[in-house]
Amino acid sequence: MTPEALYEILNNFAHQQGLELNKDKDFTLDIIRGLLKNEERYGYRSCPCRLATGIKERDEDIICPCKYRDDDIKEYGSCYCYLYVSKEWNEGKIPHVVVPERRPLRR
Amino acid sequence: MRKVTLFALSTCPVCKKVKAFLDEHNIQHEIIEVDTLDSGEQWLMTKELQKYNPQATYPTLVICDVLKGYDPELLKKKLIDAIASESNSS
Repeated sequence: MTPEALYEILNNFAHQQGLELNKDKDFTLDIIRGLLKNEERYGYRSCPCRLATGIKERDEDIICPCKYRDDDIKEYGSCYCYLYVSKEWNEGKIPHVVVPERRPLRR
Repeated sequence: MRKVTLFALSTCPVCKKVKAFLDEHNIQHEIIEVDTLDSGEQWLMTKELQKYNPQATYPTLVICDVLKGYDPELLKKKLIDAIASESNSS
């Protein structure tokens, strides 16, 4: 699948959930390229901003959309990767901050 | 010379923004793309990264300081301070 084709799918998916993709399309396509790279490496689209183990059971919480996305969007207006965002975030009505890692620490 | 090390993932666009920032400001740095290493090296680098950032999140820039994520204003401030302190000491 091409990044552009996946962009269209994820864009529809985001709108169905009352969300948006980051309006910086170059940046968003770069995230999507990372998702596709991880799919090629591991067989699933794990978060490109987190180091996956390649073991699906251990990475399940970071398969995009990650388990933490909705809480991050609720609190910060964007997910950890800045792929999924709220309308207000895209419109610049809320500050764009570094989203802290919500995933529990793994040793 | 102050050592600047960027712990990054090759798939992470925010990591690329930090790298672009360093390049734009001619800051010499070492970049470690942890996801491109083999599993043993990944483990070692994660342990190294956790000395500075226990959560081992990406990007992490180490300049005798630890910056998480991409905040251009904070990066500018920290890097300018680092360069100023380098020039004063030479």
